[in-house]
Amino acid sequence: MPVSEGFQPKIQVFEPHRASLPPLIPYLKEFWRRRAFATELANFTDKAEYLDSRLGKIWLVLNPLLLGFVYYLVVTIIRPGGNQGLTRLDHLLIGLFTFYFAQNCVTAGALSITAGGRLILNQAFPRALLPFSCALQAFRQFLPTIPVYIFILIAGKWAYPQTQVPGWTWHFLWIPFILICTGLTGFGLALVFATLNVYFRDTNKLLTYITRIWMYLSPVLWLPNSLKGHMKLLLYINPLGPVLNATARVWVNGQSLNKLTIFFCIFWAFASILIGGYFFISRERDFAIRI
Amino acid sequence: MPEELAIRIEDLSISYKVSLEAKRTLKNAVMRASLKQKERTRTIEALKNFTLDVPHGSVLGIVGSNGAGKSTLMRCIAGILSPTEGRVIVNGKISTLLALGVGFNPALSGRDNIILGGLASGLTREEIESKTDEIAEFAALPDGFIDLPVRTYSSGMYGRLSFAVAVSMTPDILLLDEALSAGDAAFKEKSFERMRQLCAEARTILIVSHALATVTDLCDTAIWMHKGNLLAQGKPEQIVDDYLKFLNVGSLPSSFEDM
Repeated sequence: MPVSEGFQPKIQVFEPHRASLPPLIPYLKEFWRRRAFATELANFTDKAEYLDSRLGKIWLVLNPLLLGFVYYLVVTIIRPGGNQGLTRLDHLLIGLFTFYFAQNCVTAGALSITAGGRLILNQAFPRALLPFSCALQAFRQFLPTIPVYIFILIAGKWAYPQTQVPGWTWHFLWIPFILICTGLTGFGLALVFATLNVYFRDTNKLLTYITRIWMYLSPVLWLPNSLKGHMKLLLYINPLGPVLNATARVWVNGQSLNKLTIFFCIFWAFASILIGGYFFISRERDFAIRI
Repeated sequence: MPEELAIRIEDLSISYKVSLEAKRTLKNAVMRASLKQKERTRTIEALKNFTLDVPHGSVLGIVGSNGAGKSTLMRCIAGILSPTEGRVIVNGKISTLLALGVGFNPALSGRDNIILGGLASGLTREEIESKTDEIAEFAALPDGFIDLPVRTYSSGMYGRLSFAVAVSMTPDILLLDEALSAGDAAFKEKSFERMRQLCAEARTILIVSHALATVTDLCDTAIWMHKGNLLAQGKPEQIVDDYLKFLNVGSLPSSFEDM
């Protein structure tokens, strides 16, 4: 029988992968071609999340505000003598917001494969699009926190004129770099945990504790320069240590980044993507069987 | 691959390991590792040395008992599962309906879900939006339901919408796994009509169905799968007849005993 009208030959060959990875160039091309799916999925998931809420998207601003308030209470109650006014509050807020950006990438990404069961059983597409969509959604949820942070800074300065707040500085141009590194690190780690969650369904429960401990080990509730001696290693061996250190330098102190911090920001972003990408892509053919 | 073929399957085998643990958890994995025990697994050979050619424009029915490997075969043709050995060559754009409610987030409207499902299958947003009303009409959703959350749909509406999305993608190759069980008699007739139209346009359709009348009514050829093997291939009436005898007798016809 002749082929149908409008038929466009599109030969696809499915073979066993001799190495554990599928051919990477076609995979990445397909990933790029279907990026609209990831962005729309992030849009729609956001929409679905706040659809039944009376306050709707106001929660995007309320959540980080309440979170900052809760942790500020915790920090000032635990260390009553350690309150350094707005310097502490602005560090706490921007540290928390940046940490939660990465944490949301990881926790939502970890569930993305097991939650996308029917889609995975029915369609062939690069599975990494699902955790990628979660990273986009986490970034979108992070964005409203920036005006919240700036508002608090201005209000704080007005209320406590003696508090030091950095004015405009060109060093703020490091912010996009910090955010890209945070997003890439979060996405890479999401790939690891999404894969683990397919094989071990209790990974997500464990992740709750991992992220909590991770936050305490990161310069969020404490200032990076409060570390002494060997403890300074925490800023570099923790995947989020360098970006949070950079966050404190740029956002809070208005300083530039030193070479070591820049190096480790890039190192962890690449290491997370490479390790997470390898772990995820080499196992994603298994997902339809394991789900 | 010869031009007249839509699908060529060469010596395809798919096997995978399944865990015999009641629950696969990190905790159990750590416990096993500390006791230096190995995980108890079983290898499932879902498809064994399977070879098949499907020409453009054919409607192939696939019958077989549960565990015959029908869904595995469909998923391998769609590129969802990878072969363990052998290879599958596909020529044309594929649309699949292998699990009902594809990409459907129950909190979102039918329209939003159509867009998500279409984007996942590789269409552009413009292409999908131009088809949304047509899909809603084909799915016979009551007025205004297309903009209501999918969780308010009845199971029939849900199934009809899934089917409508799959057939609206103007695929060259359409893979359907038990999709025709969705909807009432009137919708079934409409689905058949749509599939006949796709066949007339020389599109290739593969249907897995336990409803044998669907296979004899719609298909021009059929295969019978049994425990991962291709047992027989031929006219749908003959294949269905042999399969029914097998179901009634409970043993394979003598000519298949070696399988």
